Formats: sequence, C-alpha cells, structure tokens
Amino acid sequence: MALPISYHWRSLFVRKTTTLMTVLVIASVVAVFAYMLGFAASLRASMAMASDEHKVIVIKRGATAESNSAIPTEEFVKLAQVNETAVDPSSKQPLQSPEMLVQVSLPRLRDGGKTFANVAVRGVTDKAFAVHRTIRIAEGRMFETGSREVIVGKSAADQFGGIGIGDTINLGYGGDRSYKVVGLFSAEGGPLESEIWGYLPSLTNAYNRTMYSSVNLRLKDDASAASVVAKIQGPAIQLQAQTEPDYWNEQSRLIRVYLGIAYILVSVMCVAAICSIANTMYAAVAGRTREIAMLRTIGFSERQILTGFILESVLLSLIGGVLGCAACQAWLSLVGSTKDMFGATTFTTLAFQIRLTPLAIAIALVSVAVVGVIGSLPPAVRASRVQVISALREP
Amino acid sequence: MHLRLIYLYRNLTRNPLRTCLTCAAVGLPMVIYVLSSAVIVGMEKFLDNSAKQLRLAVAHKASIVNPLPDGYARKIQSLDPTGTRLTAVCGMRWIGGKIENDPRLVSTVAVDAEPFVNAFPDYQLTPAEKDAWLKDRQAIILGRGTAAQFGWNVGDRITLRPSLPPYTPMEFHVVSTADKATDPLTNWCHRTYFEEELKKQYPEAPQNMVSFFFIKCASRQDLDRFRIQIDDLFKGSIDETKTQDEKAFMNEYITQQFNLPRNLAILSAVTVFVAIMAATNTMSMNFRDRFNEYATLKAIGFGGGYVFSLIQTESLGLCLVGGAIGALAPYAAFRFTPLRNVTVPLIQHLEIQPIVCAYAIGIAGAIGVIAAVWPAVQAFRMKVVTALRNLE
Repeated sequence: MALPISYHWRSLFVRKTTTLMTVLVIASVVAVFAYMLGFAASLRASMAMASDEHKVIVIKRGATAESNSAIPTEEFVKLAQVNETAVDPSSKQPLQSPEMLVQVSLPRLRDGGKTFANVAVRGVTDKAFAVHRTIRIAEGRMFETGSREVIVGKSAADQFGGIGIGDTINLGYGGDRSYKVVGLFSAEGGPLESEIWGYLPSLTNAYNRTMYSSVNLRLKDDASAASVVAKIQGPAIQLQAQTEPDYWNEQSRLIRVYLGIAYILVSVMCVAAICSIANTMYAAVAGRTREIAMLRTIGFSERQILTGFILESVLLSLIGGVLGCAACQAWLSLVGSTKDMFGATTFTTLAFQIRLTPLAIAIALVSVAVVGVIGSLPPAVRASRVQVISALREP
Repeated sequence: MHLRLIYLYRNLTRNPLRTCLTCAAVGLPMVIYVLSSAVIVGMEKFLDNSAKQLRLAVAHKASIVNPLPDGYARKIQSLDPTGTRLTAVCGMRWIGGKIENDPRLVSTVAVDAEPFVNAFPDYQLTPAEKDAWLKDRQAIILGRGTAAQFGWNVGDRITLRPSLPPYTPMEFHVVSTADKATDPLTNWCHRTYFEEELKKQYPEAPQNMVSFFFIKCASRQDLDRFRIQIDDLFKGSIDETKTQDEKAFMNEYITQQFNLPRNLAILSAVTVFVAIMAATNTMSMNFRDRFNEYATLKAIGFGGGYVFSLIQTESLGLCLVGGAIGALAPYAAFRFTPLRNVTVPLIQHLEIQPIVCAYAIGIAGAIGVIAAVWPAVQAFRMKVVTALRNLE
C-alpha cells in the first residue's frame, strides 16, 4: 500500500509560508505560459480555418502579398487555361474570383481608439462566395451591388471602431466615398473574418484602379494543387500562386518568431521554478528525516517514499498550475483578450481573440506536473536513502 | 563587524545547495529582465533618435497605404518659401524588394535624392558618399544590417525586384552602407529611377505617387506648427493628410507589430515577482531552521536590531550574488559569443547596455531586502523567553 494522498496534502500545510511562496512562483510561471499557449492556439485555430488545399491564391510575380500585387485584366484572362478550376454547377462559369485588396485605417476599440490598425478591404464578386466556402452572413444582409454597401467580418467588427451594422465608413482613393455597413459575416474564425468586403466594381471605381490584386481559384476535388501552382507559375501564365495554407503560413512567420522567443523566455522561467521547487522539497525532506525513518520502520519501502515525495511535489505544482490558469483567465477577462497582428508582408491586420482552450489548460497543467517531478527528483531520492537507524537515533 | 561578516559567510555556505538553488531562482528571472529591458531600451533609443531629428511624417489620412501625389511636396514647401524653417521635404515610396531565388524580404524605399540628404543628416554620409549618391541615379544606400546579411559592400552592383509594380528587376549601385544610421534595415534609392522604370515597364500603373513625405523642420516650434498647418492645407481636398512627428509615426508601426515593448514589460514584471517569491521562500526556510540560533543570540545579549540586520544582509548578499550572475551572464553572452549576431525586429542588434545590468543588480538587491522583511521582523520581535521555551 502506498502512502495516502491525505498524508501529502496535510504535509503541504505544515509549512504554510513555504508552500504559499512556492505555489505563487509556479502560478506566475504557469499564468504566462498559459497565456502564450492560448495565444498560439488562437493563432493556429485561425490559420487552420485558412488551410483549404483546394483554394489557390494567385498574385503578380514579384509581389509578396495580395495587398501589393496588381494583375492587369489581360493576365487575368490567361488563367482560363487552368482547367483544373472547379465549375459553378448553375452558371457553368469557372470558379475564379478576381479580387482587389486595399486597406483602411480604423481605431482599435481595446484602447479607446488611441491607436489605429490597418484593416483589409476586399472587393469581391459573387464568385468569391463560391471560392471562399467558409463565408456566411451572420447578421444583417448581403451588400447590394447597386449601392455603396459593405459587409464586415465578425472579428473586425469586434475589435475596430465605426464598423457596426448601420455605420458608414469612408473608403476610396481619397477616403471620400461613404459606404454603409449592412451585414456581418463569419468565416469560421479564419483570417478573412478580419476583413471588410464590398462589391468589386464599385470598389475598383472608388480606388481608381484598373487592375485586380489577386485571383482566388477553387480547384476541382480531384485536382492536384501542386501541379496547378506549377502551371500558373510556368511560362504560359507567369503569375505567382500559393495554396491558401502556404500563403498564411508565410504571413504568420513573424509572429511565430516572436512566439518562439517567448517560449525560450518561459522555459528559462520554468528552470527558475524547478530550482524553487527543489529548494522547498529539500527543506521538506531535511525537516522530516525522522518521520521518513519512522515510515520506513513501519514498512514503507524506499520506492514508496520516493514516489510519495514526487507526488507531494506534483500536488504542490498542480495547486500552482490551477491558480496560474485562473489568474490567466482573470487577466483575459479583465484586461481584454483581443489581439491583432500584422501579416509579414500584407501590412494588414489579422484580428483574433485569445482563448484559454481546454487543450491549452491541459498542456499547461501537464507541463507544470513535469516541472514538479524534475524539481522533486533529487530531494525525493535523498528522502528514499535516509539511513533509518541513525535518523531515528537523532534528537 | 568582522565577526558578523564571518557569521554571514558561514550562514550562506552552511547549506550550499540551497544557496545555489536560490541564486538560480533569482538569477534566471534577472536574465529575462535584462534581455527584455535591452530590447525595450533599444526601441526607445530608436524612437528617441526619431524624436530628436525634428522630422514630420505626412501620410494619407485614409490609411498609410493610400498613396499621395508627389506634387504635394511643392505645396508643402510653399508653407515656408524661404526654406529656413522647413528645410527639406522628401517624398518616399516603399518598394520592398527581393533578390532572385531568396525568400528574404528587403525593405527598400525610393526617395527624392537631394531632399533626402538634407532631411536625414543623422545618416552622416561622407562628402564622397554624398557625391556618389547624388550623381548616380542608380545609387542605393544600404542599411548596415541588410548589407551584412546579404554580404554587400560599397561598389557592388545588386539587382532587386520591387514588391510592387513594375515588379521587374532593377540594378542598383551600392554607394554607402550607412554605418552611422540608427535604422539598420532600410535601404534608400532614387525615386526618379523607380518612376522611370515604372513608366517604361508598367505604364498602366499610377505614376508619380509617394507613400509618405518626411519633412525636416528647423526647430521644435516649427515642428508643432507645421504639423497642424500641413493637415489644414489639404483639408477638403481629395487626398487629406495625417501628419505626425516621426516618433509617433514609428510608434504606430511598432504597436502594429505585436506591441513588443509592452508585452516584454509585463513579462519582466512577472519574472521579478517570481524572484521575490523564490527568495522569500528561502529566507523563511532559513529562519525556520535557525529559529533556535536567533533565540540564543538574543539570549546572550545581541539586540533585536542586530538579528534583524543579520537576516537582512544575508538575504541581500544572496540575491546580489544571484542577481549579478543573472545580469552579467547575458551581457557576456551577447558581447563575446556567437549570440551577438542574433537579430531582433526593428533594432536588429541586441545590445545589452551596462545600465540595464546595473538596474537588474539594483532590483536583485531590492528583492533581497523585500524577501527578508517578514523573517527579519519576526526575529526582531521574538520574545527571548518564549523562543527559548520552544527550544527542543
């Protein structure tokens, strides 16, 4: 029979100050770690919604993103050669959506409009809704092609000011054409949800443009994206193509560098936490040498003592872990969980919300348990090797 | 005094393992603090240099990517026809750029050549460099970080492909690697050369547009006045402007990029808290272990103040050692090992300023004092009789 959990639980409360301090150390580290896991998870969730292998984004060769690409009409028509494009069943038209991407500067709601973000404005035709399959009107209605109307992505509407239903925003080359927001759309949380969409001809006119920014293709289900990409980049068409997941992977490169740095810093903090736990557990072992000798005398084995002390440390770490996750959640709900970031080359904002997902909590707690095990291993080994006779003889 | 120092030393070496672990638990957070602060200080230095230069940035009101007609330069200059208070108006167009078969993005800006020299005296171009820059329309001034990254030197001919129309390769002649400039990344080329190429290769694209203007003012008063006057000048026109000083303009860019300074500040605050808790933990364990000793000390006549200061100095010494190691390790690592080549967004080279290390050691000292307050106060208040009664 192993040592009962209640024994370890009560032991933790014998030295209240030490336990409290150790828990606070662990809680702080876990809070930061959980925040980052939540951040990474939301980013990944958003990217996962933009990982349609059968959607190809075509931009001008040499351009780095839709926002600095310009495709003249005569190059757009060359894409008709791509016969792997899916066909709209009712109109028999190939699903190739010419689009225009510009930006508008809008105030961030989270700091009361003190700073501004560049929000993407996309001009689309009805084909876009067949190519981007995730788009659904969530509230209000679709824009009408005859009037100056736009629909707004839900994440954008949550985070930036002046784009609720019924508001008007100034778009256009000189920022002098007012468009009315008539609906909100969702894109299953993908990056398109951070955008504003309007009717392409109306917007190209407002922005004085004759060229498209990009063309999005929907491929037939049995088509190979790689060969389509090769064909578009080949001598006949000479444009640049990327599948949707590749495109967004590149755009989020910078943010992943930041996350990488943050993970390194957190692992340094974890080492500090391990030292702190080791300190606490060494003190616990030293203070309970006679107790351990007694336990050994009444029949508990070396192994049981070893696992017992590790268990005690894991218990300690988990208390800290739960507290840390709670602190992180409190921070998110009090200070705010909205974030936006720049695409690496788009110069447009990708808005998303940090959520402490069950998976993030699980990863944080498992990691903290591992930290607890590592920190307690050397002291637990020392505990298991207590010399019974001499320890009992000590005053 | 001498006795006290020996006692202190013995106390610290009594449980070497605990001392080492505590040093690590205090030192590692200091490593994070030093690294974060170095980045924050670097960015502030960058912004402060921007502020010192008395430059205004004029962009389109609708968004930074909406271009402005380059004719605005003349209109802006007409606000001060003498050119004594508004000393240079430099139109700029971001053209990005990539080299063949390399995914890395190069940040290149096409500028008006002559105003550039006057607007950016902080580049400290030598007369020879200035001459080469003005004479050759294919000249390019490289950021020193970019030059190092691609192995380019003065005199090289390089080919870049702009990231916007005309997208066709353009050849440049490197005239300087801007060794004195604060911005290590941006490259500068002639706008006239870019416009020629654009007209030749891509006549359907809009011509003679700039992304923004940088304007050099003679004094701070001029800066504040022109900031308002320029926006007033274009109010009601098709392209309204938004004029900010260079610091505000750059800061907007930084906050778009993950807001690194703020996030790092929060992170370092949390780590300092971690260090305080870890040190407090050790000191309270020490106090517990040495309860009898302190009682005996008091019984044989040492005052409460003596015991108090004994605990305080021990904690201070412990944290200072840990903090010093933690603060100096990154300083050494980023100065003498390959880590010094690590690049950081915007400021490029992570320079660990000695002042940041000094701060970190100071904070470690403060952590030591805070950590010992509770045990020291307890020891101070300890009633000798009660304490001795508890002796086993």
